[in-house]
Amino acid sequence: MNPILARKGETVLLMGNEAIARGALESGICMAAAYPGTPSTEIVETLSDVAKDLKIWVEWSVNEKVAFETAYAAAISGVKSLTAMKHVGLNVAADILMSSAYAGVKAGFVIISADDPGHHSSQNEQDNRWYGFISHIPVVEPSSPKEAYHYTKESFKLSEKYGHPVILRTTTRISHTRQPVILEEDIPASPVCKGVFEKAIDRWVLVPGHAKKLKIKLLEVWKRIQYDTGEPFAKIINPGMKDVIIASGIAYSHVEEAVRILGLESKVTVLKINMPVPVPRKPVEEVLRNAERVLIVEELDPVVEKQVKSISTELGLDCKIYGKEYIPENDELSLQIVYNGLCKFFDKCNPGLWESIGDLKLEPAIPPRPPVLCPGCPHRSSYYIVKTALNRAGIRNVIFTGDIGCYTLGFQKPFETQMTSFEMGGAIGVAHGLSKVVDETIVAVVGDSTFYHAGIPGVINLVFNKGKAIPLILDNSITAMTGHQPHPGTGVTATGEPTARIMPEDILKAVGFDPIVINPLRVKESISTLGKALEEFKNGKNIAIVSRARCALEVLRDARRTKTVLPVYKVNPEKCTGCLACINLSACPALVVDPDSRKPVIMEDLCAGCGLCASICPFKAISPANTPSQDWERLW
Amino acid sequence: MKSRFNLILVGVGGQGLITLGRLIGEACIRAGLNVTVAEVHGMSQRGGSVVVHVRIGEGDSPVIPVGGAHHIIAMEILEAGRSVRYANKDTVMVVNDLILPPPLAKYPGKKDVVDALKSKLGKVYLYDAEGVCKRIMGTPISSNIALLGFSIGVNPALESLISKDAVEKAIEALFKEKAVELNKKVFEEAFREGRKSIGG
Repeated sequence: MNPILARKGETVLLMGNEAIARGALESGICMAAAYPGTPSTEIVETLSDVAKDLKIWVEWSVNEKVAFETAYAAAISGVKSLTAMKHVGLNVAADILMSSAYAGVKAGFVIISADDPGHHSSQNEQDNRWYGFISHIPVVEPSSPKEAYHYTKESFKLSEKYGHPVILRTTTRISHTRQPVILEEDIPASPVCKGVFEKAIDRWVLVPGHAKKLKIKLLEVWKRIQYDTGEPFAKIINPGMKDVIIASGIAYSHVEEAVRILGLESKVTVLKINMPVPVPRKPVEEVLRNAERVLIVEELDPVVEKQVKSISTELGLDCKIYGKEYIPENDELSLQIVYNGLCKFFDKCNPGLWESIGDLKLEPAIPPRPPVLCPGCPHRSSYYIVKTALNRAGIRNVIFTGDIGCYTLGFQKPFETQMTSFEMGGAIGVAHGLSKVVDETIVAVVGDSTFYHAGIPGVINLVFNKGKAIPLILDNSITAMTGHQPHPGTGVTATGEPTARIMPEDILKAVGFDPIVINPLRVKESISTLGKALEEFKNGKNIAIVSRARCALEVLRDARRTKTVLPVYKVNPEKCTGCLACINLSACPALVVDPDSRKPVIMEDLCAGCGLCASICPFKAISPANTPSQDWERLW
Repeated sequence: MKSRFNLILVGVGGQGLITLGRLIGEACIRAGLNVTVAEVHGMSQRGGSVVVHVRIGEGDSPVIPVGGAHHIIAMEILEAGRSVRYANKDTVMVVNDLILPPPLAKYPGKKDVVDALKSKLGKVYLYDAEGVCKRIMGTPISSNIALLGFSIGVNPALESLISKDAVEKAIEALFKEKAVELNKKVFEEAFREGRKSIGG
C-alpha cells in the first residue's frame, strides 16, 4: 500500500514533500493544483497518485498562476485546497497572491512555497518569506520533515481561523529529506468537495472602492495574527537566560544540535520560531526582556532579525542583537556553518571535532562531474541537427536564447545552444527584444512544458510586434526535469485520465508561424528538412521548429516494461580512426575513450540506442551490435 | 550526549543512491531509530555527482559536516575520491570497483585513486558489487544493496544500528515479488564477503 495512505498510529518514512501531502489530506483538502518545480514537485505528485482513490481533484496546471487561481477558487467556495510551487513559481503567481489576502477565503487555503537555498536546482535563492510582508499573508516554516507534516495541519487551522490564506514555506533540505513520521490522524473519509459560490461583489471584485475597505480589514487581521499567535508557532526552550538564540525553520534543527555539541543546553535560552512572518510578538518580547545578547540564526535573508530589532527598539530595550555578523546570508545553512557561528559568538569551540582528511592530490585531478544530458536524450540530437542545418545554410554567429528545463544543460560544450536562461518562457521574449537591436540570427530554444507555461504570450508578441527569431520547441511530450509530469501536449491528466492533446505546432500555426516538425532520431532527414525551411526563413518567412521525440528515460522504462529491445551501438575498431568526432560533437556519457587504444568505446549498459554517434561518425564505424525489436522506434 | 551516526552515500545520478537511502531509512524505522535521509532531485540528478546524507539518531539537522562521516559508501571510484572531504582518519569507506569517467574529461586511473584513498584512510575496502549481483541476478542492478550488505559486514558500528534483520525487513517492504528474494540473496552474500574480509 502507498505509505501516504497508512493508518493513524503507524510510523512511515516520508520525504518532507510527502509529509506535507499527508498533512494536507488529514486536514481535509479536496483540491490541489500546482505546476511542477524542484523542490516542490513531490507534494502534488504524491497527491495525484492517491487522488482517484480518495475522490479528490488534483491537477498539474499549465503554470503557477493558473494553479493558484484554481485552488483559490475552491477555497473561496468553502472547499479546502492547496497550491504548491517552487520559490520562483510564486513570482509567476504573485498577482493573485496579493489579491487573495484582500479577499480572504471561506475554507482553509495553503500556498506552499518550496525555496531553494543553495541553488540546488534554481536560477536564484530568493527568500520567499518576504512575500509574507508584501501580501500580508502569514508564513509558516517547519524545522524538519516530520514538522512539515505537523505544520501543514497547523497552517490549515490558521487559515480557517482567520479566513485568510497561509504560506507554508519549505526548503530543499526539508522537502527532499526523508524521516520517520508518526501519523496522528486518519484521512477523513468524506472531505467537503462540493462548494458554494456566494455572490459577494464587495469582496470578490477588487475595484478600488472595494479594495480600500478590504485593506482596513486586512491590516486588522495582520495585527491579530502578530499578537494572538504563540504556540505552536513559537516555543521558548530553557527560558530566563541572558544569552538568547532565536532560530527559524530548519536553522532551529542546526542550532539544537550545535548547542548540544557545545554543551550549552542549560546556559542559553532558545526561541524556536515556526512563523517567521509576522514573528509571534509575545514570545519574542518575553525572551528579549531578560536578554543581554541575542543571536538570530536563520537561512538566507535577515527576515526575523529585522523584526526582532524593530520590536526591541519599540520596547526601548538595550540588549545587543546580532545575526548576519555570525551567520552567512547566502547559501544554505548546515550544522557545520551554524556550529562555527555559535563557536565565535560564545567564544567556545570543541577542538578536534570533524577533522577532514582533505582532498586527494592526484594527477590528473578528479574531474568535475556536472549534470549532463542523459545518454539517448533527444535534446542532444536536436541541438546537433539544428546547428548542422544552420551551418550548412550559411547562417553563422547564431544567438541561441534559452530557457528552463533539462535542455538548459545545452549551455555546455560542445552544444553552446543556450546563451541566456533567466526564467520560464524567457527564451522567446528575450529573442524578440534582441532581434530589435542586433543583426545576428536568433533561435529561441524552449521546452514543451515551458512553452505552454509562459512561452505562448511570447510567440504572439513576437509575431504581433514584427520580431525576427526562430522558436525551437524541444518537445519530449512530458515535463521531464521534474520527473515526468504530464502537460497539455501529453494527452493525459495528472491522474492518468485521457484528455485533449494540444500540439505546439497548432498553436504556432495559429499565431502566424510556419511550423516544421522534425524527429531528432532521424538525423540526416531532419537536417535536410530544416535546410529547406531555413531557405524560406532567409526569404522572410516566420518559421518555427518543433523537434519531437520522447524523453529517453521514459523510453528506457517502457522498453523494460514491454520487453522491447532497443538498438545498442558499438564502435568497430577496424574502421575507427580515433578522430573522436563522436565524443567531441555529442558529449554522450555512454561514449568513453579507451586509455590504451585512444579510440572510443560505447558502454552498452548506458547506450539508449538513439544512434546520434553513428550519424556523426565520418567513417561509418558505429553501428548497432544487436538485433533490436522490430517496432522499437514506436517507443520514441 | 549521544552523537548521531553519519553515513555518506555517493555516486553518479541514476546509480540507485536514492533507493539505497530509502532502504536504509526503512531499516532504521524497523530498528526503532530516528533517521534523516537527505537527497537531491531535479537537474542535479542528471548524470552528475550525487551525495546522499544519512544521519541516524536523535536530531533533525540533515547535512553531514565535512570531516564528519563515520562511514562512506561510494558507488563509483572517482566519486569515492571526491567524497573524502567528508572523511576523517577513522572513517570506514566501502568503494564499488567501478569507474565511470565523465565525458570529455581527463581522469586519474582506478589504482591511483584507490592507492591515494588507502594512504589517507585506515579502512578502505574495494568491493566488486557488480560481480556479486551478476552471479546471483544476472544484472548489476542491485549493486547498491550489495554495497550496503558489504558495509554492514565490515563495520560493526553500522551493524549495531541497522542489523541484517532490519535491512531484510526493509527489503521486503520496498521490493516486490521475485525482487525480494534476489535482493535478500545479494545482501546476504555481500554481507558474508564483507565479514570475511575483516576475518570474521
